[in-house]
Amino acid sequence: MNRNYIFLTILMIVLAVGTLMLKPAKQLKQIEPETLLKEIVQPTRYISTDEVAKRLIQGDPSLLLVDVRSEAEFEKYSLPRSLNIPTEKLMADDNLSYFGVPGTKVVFVSNDDIKADQTWVLTKRLGFNSTYVMKGGLNCWMETIIDPVEPSPDAEETEFKTYSFRKGAQMYFTGAQVDDFNDSKVEVQVRRKEKTSVASGGC
Amino acid sequence: MHIHELNPWRTLIAVVIFVVILLAGFVTMTKPLLTYHLDMNESIQQLSDENAYFYPWELDGFIKKEAQNVVLFDIRDNFIFGQGHIPGAENISANDLTQEDNVERLEKLNEMGVTVVLYGENQLQANGPWMLFRQVGFDNVKILAGGYQYYAENKENLLAAKDNNSFKKGIPRYDFAEKAAPKDGAAVSTTAKKPVQVQRRQKSTVAAGGC
Amino acid sequence: MGPLIPNGIIGGGWDFVIAILLGVAFGFILEASGFSSSRNITGVFYGYNFVVLRVFFTALIVAMVGLMYFDYFGWLDLSKIFILPTYVTPMIFGGVVMGLGFILGGFCPGTSFTAIAIGKLDALLFTIGLYIGIFIFSLGYPLIEGFYNSGNLGNVTLTDVTGIPAAWFALAFTVVALAAFWGTMIIEKRVRKNMKEYKF
Repeated sequence: MNRNYIFLTILMIVLAVGTLMLKPAKQLKQIEPETLLKEIVQPTRYISTDEVAKRLIQGDPSLLLVDVRSEAEFEKYSLPRSLNIPTEKLMADDNLSYFGVPGTKVVFVSNDDIKADQTWVLTKRLGFNSTYVMKGGLNCWMETIIDPVEPSPDAEETEFKTYSFRKGAQMYFTGAQVDDFNDSKVEVQVRRKEKTSVASGGC
Repeated sequence: MHIHELNPWRTLIAVVIFVVILLAGFVTMTKPLLTYHLDMNESIQQLSDENAYFYPWELDGFIKKEAQNVVLFDIRDNFIFGQGHIPGAENISANDLTQEDNVERLEKLNEMGVTVVLYGENQLQANGPWMLFRQVGFDNVKILAGGYQYYAENKENLLAAKDNNSFKKGIPRYDFAEKAAPKDGAAVSTTAKKPVQVQRRQKSTVAAGGC
Repeated sequence: MGPLIPNGIIGGGWDFVIAILLGVAFGFILEASGFSSSRNITGVFYGYNFVVLRVFFTALIVAMVGLMYFDYFGWLDLSKIFILPTYVTPMIFGGVVMGLGFILGGFCPGTSFTAIAIGKLDALLFTIGLYIGIFIFSLGYPLIEGFYNSGNLGNVTLTDVTGIPAAWFALAFTVVALAAFWGTMIIEKRVRKNMKEYKF
């Protein structure tokens, strides 16, 4: 019998057994810490309340709002069409299966942006893309969409445009009555702008 | 008789190449600078760890040089750091945090038991780096609650933070339900929340690679 | 690092160049292993020559174990490679058809081309038949479309289906392959003892 064959057989068995030692239990896929930090430093994950409002009004089907507050808080008030996954329960059940669906953008919402951002870091560590954070959170939502402040008369034209959009959004989300507008500049209308990338927002 | 029995060298050469490639793999494998020490659940738990935060009133002692074992790192840009910072803080821009010498420095501080406090313009800016360093095992890294903004606004009276929660993040500032209710009191949609129709990722689908 | 093209290390335009180089290498190995001889190929069905089984099993276990080490070294991300979708019954049926053609024709599609390269007339006729078969299949596709697409399990691996780590499958396949090497060697010897007319 050729001695070569015996050596080859032993070598192959040793190598195959070696594969068992390589990764004892490959659990969840994670990205490298250095890569994670590079992602963290980028501000592209923030999306403004205006952008969220616009997409909600347009009924964008690719948008998934994930509310990371506790269940009690969520019961009291939540944004329309949002889903409750408290950060503490991120790993529980099948909650992770909401992320990384091709063609959907997950936007995390919390009281302000801290908890949402923390959840974002956690999902990013698991390598999920197209997750975003609503900048300013619900506090900012109240200040900008639910109770927008009228800009001073000498403000920029764009500020009035934003204001008129917010007024319209306020009506959409609360059912508030239209105030009397004498100034044509602040005409309420919900415009459908052409789609822009979510990532371009900023509070 | 097979061809390789006539020429055993060929088999040997092929085997040697195979083994050499694998050995080269083991030798050149670089040990990553940072590895995760906390798993996902531990990482979530440590978010609610009171000891992972550095509170504004603790700054008071630091500025007066009473606190010995504390180092402050300002993770904002060098340019902004120059415009004003907490006295005694060092500047390491967030981009440079994982540079080898900085990580070594953090390791040294960790061994000496020195508390490292990260702060950014606001708490949000330092949030990610802070989480990352806690997750890779630096349990001496803390985050300044409220960030630089709170410090800058309340420089004179940092101790007051003990009695109010104005520095705190993550709490609602309004009663959302009341504020968002219709102003004229008409047609409040009190109906039970409809379950959201959401598409889930199917377990079986493998990440579609480059075909 | 890898896979090279999806990770953008080399441009997507290179895939044809790589395909040609790999094709040349594959053809060379087929010919070097003696696969352009119909006797070697069909020998596996008559029990006097198992070189086909040995070569393919060797390639399989070396590639399998090698890829797992490459994944561990960080040279190749196994989660990013493309996995062919699995169609259960069509694949079994296709395997049977292929095996029958194997015995009848004495070539598999790849080896028929290497045999043409060394000037075999039977291989030329085999490839002509191959193209006629492709033509008939294409014309008849609407008739068998339903069966062709049935039993789709998606892009699954054995690990996805069973939940057993890939390393255990690698070990099992390696042991089976090595056992087959030694087993077939014994079968070969016995069968050849009774053969007078065939010289190796």
